[in-house]
Amino acid sequence: MMQPVWLSERVQWIGAFDPGMRSFDVILKTPNGTTYNAYAVRGTDGVAVIDTVKAECSEQFFARLEAVARYDEIRVIVLNHLEPDHTGALPELMRRAPQAKLYISQSAQLMLKALLNRGDLDFTSVTTGDTVSLGDRTLRFLHTPYLHWPDTQCTYVEEEYILFSGDVFGCHFCDERLFNDKVGDFRFAFEYYYAHIMRPFREHVLEALTLIDPLPINIIAPTHGPILRDRPLCYVQRYRELSSQRLQSEVDASEKTMVIFYISAYGSTTLMAQAIRDGAESVPGVRASVYDIEGGDADLFVDLVEDADGILIGTPTINGDAVKPAWDVLTSFAKTNVRSKLAGAFGSYGWSGEAVRMVEDRMRGLKMRVPLDGLRIKLIPSEAELEECRQYGRQMGEHLVGINAPRVVDMADLLASKKQAQAEFNAN
Amino acid sequence: MAKAKVTFSDVNVTVNVPVGTRIIEISEAVGSYIAYNCREGDCGVCVFEVVKGQENLSELTKEEKAVLLAHFQEILDGWRATPNLEALQTKMQRENFAGKYCRLACQTQVFGDVTVAPL
Repeated sequence: MMQPVWLSERVQWIGAFDPGMRSFDVILKTPNGTTYNAYAVRGTDGVAVIDTVKAECSEQFFARLEAVARYDEIRVIVLNHLEPDHTGALPELMRRAPQAKLYISQSAQLMLKALLNRGDLDFTSVTTGDTVSLGDRTLRFLHTPYLHWPDTQCTYVEEEYILFSGDVFGCHFCDERLFNDKVGDFRFAFEYYYAHIMRPFREHVLEALTLIDPLPINIIAPTHGPILRDRPLCYVQRYRELSSQRLQSEVDASEKTMVIFYISAYGSTTLMAQAIRDGAESVPGVRASVYDIEGGDADLFVDLVEDADGILIGTPTINGDAVKPAWDVLTSFAKTNVRSKLAGAFGSYGWSGEAVRMVEDRMRGLKMRVPLDGLRIKLIPSEAELEECRQYGRQMGEHLVGINAPRVVDMADLLASKKQAQAEFNAN
Repeated sequence: MAKAKVTFSDVNVTVNVPVGTRIIEISEAVGSYIAYNCREGDCGVCVFEVVKGQENLSELTKEEKAVLLAHFQEILDGWRATPNLEALQTKMQRENFAGKYCRLACQTQVFGDVTVAPL
């Protein structure tokens, strides 16, 4: 049970199985647990340990490690990622193998200090191109930051064609058969892991792939889930597909896309959404589209959010709040990177109309750009109010393509109009 | 009262303000993408770029300088830092980041014409 698993004559898996795990990092679900994968690489000049395991699983890790090496043979400890599920056993490992040198990425240095709370740490920071020799085996480092922490890196063993990829290409899936050609179907877990862990960093995924692509690879050994030895490049290819920009509008920088989500109780917010769309569409270079939140669900809309340059949300105010489906769409923004995207809110209301301001505040909290105050219209929009909507859409469109006309205002007028809007808001 | 012009280049709006006005008093009202958290010079979230006219801004206090430096460090260490971290980092190092081209919007007062932008 506590036996190591051989990847090759010189490389062993010495990680831990955690089949009882159901929710990981609070936010991720797994139906059958996860694994913390750690590895040992033996060269003629000593042994390297690549990553460790969660503290609670240390016993498994040390038992497997002891089956493949003595502590005094360990010369090198590589940490591809410092998250506690991979560094939990590190302090004890350092105690048992005090002569071993630590190799971490440059961005990991301060994090390591914060993690171990020790001032006397001795470590070497490495980046792309750096190597460490174990005699007849060589570790080569790849600087692949933000996958999914700033400190992440990959380690490649040149003579074995094995890539120790860290969390990249991993998944939460626990199967003691361990190799991708032996375990149960884990495609869903692989996709789910990408969507929730790597997706917000997809530009960094592509940068990492340019470093990985030139390497001949026989095995990809990630820190969670199955070891990928059967057609490993399929997984690299899948990451490329998932991370690449696919829409013509993304590739063509001359066109900006605006996505207008709305939900409406009696059709007033729908009318606003359509008028805003018409206004935005009148700006050359803007492709605006409306989507009724009621006819989809937040998870389906994540693709739209990820690829849009500007995002508007229309919601009525019901009981002093935006409605839940609108909040669900806003919550799903965290699954991708919306920072600095253009954003705005609008909606019809009966008495008070708080929803628009609340949605705007949330957008600002996500560090989106909200250049114009949101549009609130009492009950059914009149023709004049629909014209206001078209104008709002037009202005948002102009902000999106960066052709908004320069405006000069006096501070007194600016603050007076804000104060008036606030007073109206409070009076309602 | 003496006046100054503050231009927010991200929204293309120029505001005529009495000298001594702080950026925080107007940036949100024009819809500029300068973001705030604590609003009192502690957190460093409202750091912005001085595009033009840095000589027309209030002197840097010791506190503002400290926060700017700390913020710089925080960005470098941050978990989910800015999307163009490397560009920012290079800029910070090359251009004497703390206090010259980057300031805190909640602290900085305007004494003459200036153009500002979110970082």
